[in-house]
Amino acid sequence: MIQSKPWEFMVKYTPQRDWIEGHGIMVAFAIFFGGIAGGLYLASLYYDSTVGMFVAWLLAMATGLTDMAHLSKPRRFWRMLLRVKSSWITRGFLFITLFIGAAAIQLAIRQWAPGATAAETVFKVFAGIFAFGVAIYSGFVVGFVSGIKLWNSAIVPILFVVAGVAGGLGILMLASQGESAARVLDIARGCFYVLAGYAVFTAIYLWVSTYENTNARDSVTRILTGEVSRVFWLVVVVVGMVLPLGLIAPYAFNAVVSPAAFIIAGACILVGGIGLRYVILKAGVYSPLVPSE
Amino acid sequence: MTRWGMVIDMKRCIGCYACVLACKAEHFLPPDIFWNRVLIGEKGKYPAVSKVIYSVRCNHCAEPKCVDVCPTGATQQREDGIVWVDETKCVGCRYCMIACPYQARSFYEGDGEGYFPGQGLTPHEEIGHALYPHEPGVVQKCVFCKERIDAGLAQGLVPGVDRDASPACMIVCPTMAIKFGDLDDPYSEVNRLIKERKGVGFHEEYDTKPSLYYLD
Repeated sequence: MIQSKPWEFMVKYTPQRDWIEGHGIMVAFAIFFGGIAGGLYLASLYYDSTVGMFVAWLLAMATGLTDMAHLSKPRRFWRMLLRVKSSWITRGFLFITLFIGAAAIQLAIRQWAPGATAAETVFKVFAGIFAFGVAIYSGFVVGFVSGIKLWNSAIVPILFVVAGVAGGLGILMLASQGESAARVLDIARGCFYVLAGYAVFTAIYLWVSTYENTNARDSVTRILTGEVSRVFWLVVVVVGMVLPLGLIAPYAFNAVVSPAAFIIAGACILVGGIGLRYVILKAGVYSPLVPSE
Repeated sequence: MTRWGMVIDMKRCIGCYACVLACKAEHFLPPDIFWNRVLIGEKGKYPAVSKVIYSVRCNHCAEPKCVDVCPTGATQQREDGIVWVDETKCVGCRYCMIACPYQARSFYEGDGEGYFPGQGLTPHEEIGHALYPHEPGVVQKCVFCKERIDAGLAQGLVPGVDRDASPACMIVCPTMAIKFGDLDDPYSEVNRLIKERKGVGFHEEYDTKPSLYYLD
């Protein structure tokens, strides 16, 4: 049970701590890596970037490793494959495993058998489906928690995918430096649009949550004006959204390539992405155990 | 079918914490671990203020979220409704703790050193370790004293009626505020109390169908 005064259990919204404090911070990293791994692979498919696909594969490995690092009994990890019928952690674990396998085969074909386009396309389709699963499963993991109303929302899985694609495009923007100007600008413009959509989506999510119930409203208050507001406004909004949008727009829409601006913008998007996962996990609260009246 | 449940009469509870200590002694619980708690507070506004005492533990929900989310099958539900954790299967992901809207689970991080670190285990603790190893790094929770229930049933005793077949917290309660019995038996005492005094469970809006009822 969480460290809290008994009285607070009865009358106050008590924040969840197991998945954010101490070792629990690994969950925020796992959700972040999973989101950008899936998002980056999907973006790389669209822009046909081999480097992006390979980095996505590495990030999927990082997702699995951070997930494992959170476990107190990592040697039993294989047991996590046993409950696919009901547990979203099991499903996510399967998505990660299958994505790593399918993407590895697809990348191997691309590298060592470039003529086998049909085979590569098949594995691209499979890897793409699993990448989407990797990007979205963490949204369902938290969305299933009915006691924390900020998380228990249909918007969360979609938000995590959009945030993942935005982060993936940020990495792709970093990785594409040195390629042709037209391609860099194309990726930068795509990144701008997705990032703008991600910002709007985040705002809608918070706005809708205030109408859900008092539990979710309490969480939103914590995000906007409470204990996690600094991280939200500074890291998620300013660093993760405003700064990269401001850096990309003047160059991308005037057909000017600025490696420095694009690299800084890409890095900012990633910092904002980890901030978003931290804020959502940190702001999750349980309703008071005892009815108020 | 049998579905074990508990009824707690808040008008009888005096907040003596005997149930908390009985549970700790019964299961040789390690330091800082409590499977049940007593919450004491106030409700209402001046001048209509009243003191309230809730003895809380796992609700052994009929539709337990913790069982659904467990990725390894460590958290299980028996046919009689008791939800328990197989410590040998738990990976310590704590998803069950997050998913429980009642925050009724505990994570045991301890090093197994017992109550007197650096001084070894007392003879009493050694017995406890043999009976309940309490593996560090896994999740624990109230099990409605299933060992007592199973042993009692094997002897032909009735849980909730016979002491040797009933949960420790129930038999130790000096005011008999805690009742235990079969919720599926329409003639059981727990069912009678729930019907007559309109027993309610915590957060029934979550559709977990808790097996713990409170009488006000």
